[in-house]
Amino acid sequence: MRRRNLTAYGFLSPYLLIFAAFWLWPIIYSFYLSFLSTRRAPWTFNPSMTWLRITQDTAFYNALWNTLKILAIQVPAMVFLATVLAVLLNSQLLRARGLIRFAFFAPVVIGEAAYAAVFRLMFNTDFGIVNKTLQAIGLSKVDWFANPSAAMSLIIMAVTWRWVGYNAIIILSGLQSIQTDVYEAATLERVSPRQQFFHITLPLLRPVLVFCFVLSVIGSMQLFAEPYLITNMGGPGGATETLGLFLYRQGFLNLNFGYASAIAYTIAALAVAISALNMWIGRDRT
Amino acid sequence: MRSKSKTMLFRSLALHSVLVPLALLWLLPLWMMFVFATMSDNAIFSPDIHLIPSTQFGENFAKLQGDIDFVRTLIVSVVVAVIYTFFSVALTSMAGWALARYKFLGRGLVVAIILGTMTLPYFVVVIPQFIMVARDFGLSNTWFALIVPPLFNSLGVLFMRQAFSLMPVDLFDAARVEGVSEWKIFIHIALPLSRPMLAALSIILFLHSWNNYLWPLLISNDRSMMTAPVALGSLFGLIDVSWGGVMVGAVLLTVPMLVVFVFLQRFFMAGITAGAVK
Amino acid sequence: MASVSINQVTKQFGAVSVIRGANLHVEDGELVVFVGPSGCGKSTLLRMIAGLEDISSGDIHIGDTMVNDIEPGDRGVAMVFQSYALYPHMSVQQNMSFGLRMNGNEKADTERRVQTAAKVLQLKPLLARLPKQLSGGQRQRVAIGRAIVREPQVFLFDEPLSNLDAELRVQMRVEIARLHKELQATMIYVTHDQTEAMTLADRIVVLRDGLIEQVGSPLELYHNPANAFVAGFIGSPRINFFTGVATEYAEGHQLVQLSGRGSAVAKVATTEALPSGTLIKVGVRPEHFEIGGACGFPIKVDVVEQLGSVSYLYADTTSEYPLIVARQDDGDHRSDELTISIRAGKALLFGADGNRLR
Repeated sequence: MRRRNLTAYGFLSPYLLIFAAFWLWPIIYSFYLSFLSTRRAPWTFNPSMTWLRITQDTAFYNALWNTLKILAIQVPAMVFLATVLAVLLNSQLLRARGLIRFAFFAPVVIGEAAYAAVFRLMFNTDFGIVNKTLQAIGLSKVDWFANPSAAMSLIIMAVTWRWVGYNAIIILSGLQSIQTDVYEAATLERVSPRQQFFHITLPLLRPVLVFCFVLSVIGSMQLFAEPYLITNMGGPGGATETLGLFLYRQGFLNLNFGYASAIAYTIAALAVAISALNMWIGRDRT
Repeated sequence: MRSKSKTMLFRSLALHSVLVPLALLWLLPLWMMFVFATMSDNAIFSPDIHLIPSTQFGENFAKLQGDIDFVRTLIVSVVVAVIYTFFSVALTSMAGWALARYKFLGRGLVVAIILGTMTLPYFVVVIPQFIMVARDFGLSNTWFALIVPPLFNSLGVLFMRQAFSLMPVDLFDAARVEGVSEWKIFIHIALPLSRPMLAALSIILFLHSWNNYLWPLLISNDRSMMTAPVALGSLFGLIDVSWGGVMVGAVLLTVPMLVVFVFLQRFFMAGITAGAVK
Repeated sequence: MASVSINQVTKQFGAVSVIRGANLHVEDGELVVFVGPSGCGKSTLLRMIAGLEDISSGDIHIGDTMVNDIEPGDRGVAMVFQSYALYPHMSVQQNMSFGLRMNGNEKADTERRVQTAAKVLQLKPLLARLPKQLSGGQRQRVAIGRAIVREPQVFLFDEPLSNLDAELRVQMRVEIARLHKELQATMIYVTHDQTEAMTLADRIVVLRDGLIEQVGSPLELYHNPANAFVAGFIGSPRINFFTGVATEYAEGHQLVQLSGRGSAVAKVATTEALPSGTLIKVGVRPEHFEIGGACGFPIKVDVVEQLGSVSYLYADTTSEYPLIVARQDDGDHRSDELTISIRAGKALLFGADGNRLR
């Protein structure tokens, strides 16, 4: 058996080497870094410049608040919309299935830079198609890039556009894994479609929905490219600055690696805590 | 008792009256990307609503090419994505094979570490990665920096472990009794049999790499080694930029992936949902 | 070709003992069948001979070589799996030659061996096909062909016919018997189907719960089972069991009064007398009853299976083990009330522990 152990490690080690060097070691190293003052060389042990500072930094609280807003509004709205979409797309009655699926699933393959560019132009204050449409139906135009709540809505809309299809695909596959004979049995017992949805479909989908929530929470906690590219690095005046963007600013613009590491660990802790909360709420109660 | 066909018709109408407008709304940004790419900057920033493609695609492309040599950045992106995908598939399928096929000391620990740490946000590792690659190794703006660090991604390990463990063990035992070495069993039996899985994984990994933004932004800021998304993003803040050109860049970034998506949708969906079931 | 010997072999999976001390010697050229209910350890024992499972203690020899620490591929065995285990992406030809090719066997020789095996198994027209284009029987033949091509010391079969339908199973059974005769090869064959065991084996090994219960030729096991388990497992339809009480002993024959069967008595030749009043289990095969007779008992026939050559009458069908009686006529005996008795000397006696009383 020793020989088979060796074979197994032989297959495993190339990946494990990369994994250790570029994932495992950095996790440990950044924890160590988070206690160092790195504003000037040489780096010294000084948690007051990192962990203490984070508790007092209003810019951090602003970024945290913005992230939580996105988390509280965008994630539930998107998972809800994705569930509705998945149920509708799963309908036997649907025509032009391919085209309609394409509409929702295509954004999944589009890169952040590409769609950020389109959203910037579509929401352009003076010449964007969105404001032109608003004016055409008699509403006043919105200054998407100068008004803080409008800018936040823009980010939320963009992220939802990009990710709802992704979640719908996952939920759809969950729907399709439910045996159809369950529904046939229910129909014969005169259970209405609405009751079937709430008493059969939703309970059976629960693990998939929890998965979508957790995935979206982790995604939102790491939101970076959208506020960086669409709202000009978290503008206006930091109104769309997320934790990810704040970290980028501290780590890679100010090159304050110690502080950025403390922020990174804070983000990680929050993501784990909120995911755990999600899983606890969505746990199997039977 | 209601008539069955009437109920069906009513339901069908309700379904489509919700889905069709929503689908059109979802298609709009994509459509506008193509429309913008064919419009002159003057037309983009004019008070009229344009929903029909125009004729300026070539001119816009020329402006984009003049601004940042976009073709070169596309080549960088393709090379990085191809090499990255190849190595990630190779490394992770070997690791997945080890975890699926052998009971060895420490297997549980390896799986636990991979699963456990993958839930941590990327930010936790990106700073040390950057310090290591850019400062300690001095490898900014190199192929190594763009390709190797992202290979940590364990998606393929979990994906291929799943694929291999669903294969009948008898096949591998049969080969073992025939005296075929474990390496050859992997190469000649396990890999050929997992071709659909390998295709799905490759597509997802290629897409990851193609759209990757943060890491290339950090590590590769020299014009000669910039990836296409980073190059495109670098134009956003500039005053005197051709937005028609930017949209051409967006189209060139998006169309190949859309083609892949349309023609390999089956593998694509498999790739996305496999992450969900684990 | 080579013999196989198994000495004090055990197998533990964690705390569970799957094989609890097996001893067996398989002669060169012999076809030995391992049979037993599912979970008895027969497949595990076979896989231990193949090297696919480790041996917890004891040792296994193939020929003169102790193979405990030898890799499966170096043991000179070939194995046929229940699932066939054909490589789905390779043609029949490639499937059969795969092992040889991977081990750098000379091309011409590989080709010759494949052609020979294909001829023996009538696979020649199928060589270019993929497994999915073959029927179940054809797949099984390819799996066997793949084993033959290796020219092994020992052939191992792990329930090779259980995925086939009844008719094909009989066909393939005959085919394997023919191959054994032609190749003069040592073969070890695992099955849960006692008919397969009876028809194929030179010797049968009956296993239960990781222990070898009895080893012997098919007829030996049928007529002379060592215990009630072997008697119950070998023979189809199943042997009938009665409980009874020993009464007199006269002229080398023990008389047993059957409980709950009126005055029915079984008369069995034994070497010594049992103490009067001993509780015993009496086994009677369906063909060992006769209609009428002096010390008989009445039965009511509930169901009749007419197989043409023989009919089986079933009585007491509401009990777990119905009483089965074989008759050599074609009459419809449903609902008949008959008196049957046990042919003199044909019953088997078992003690309370299940062991045979001779």
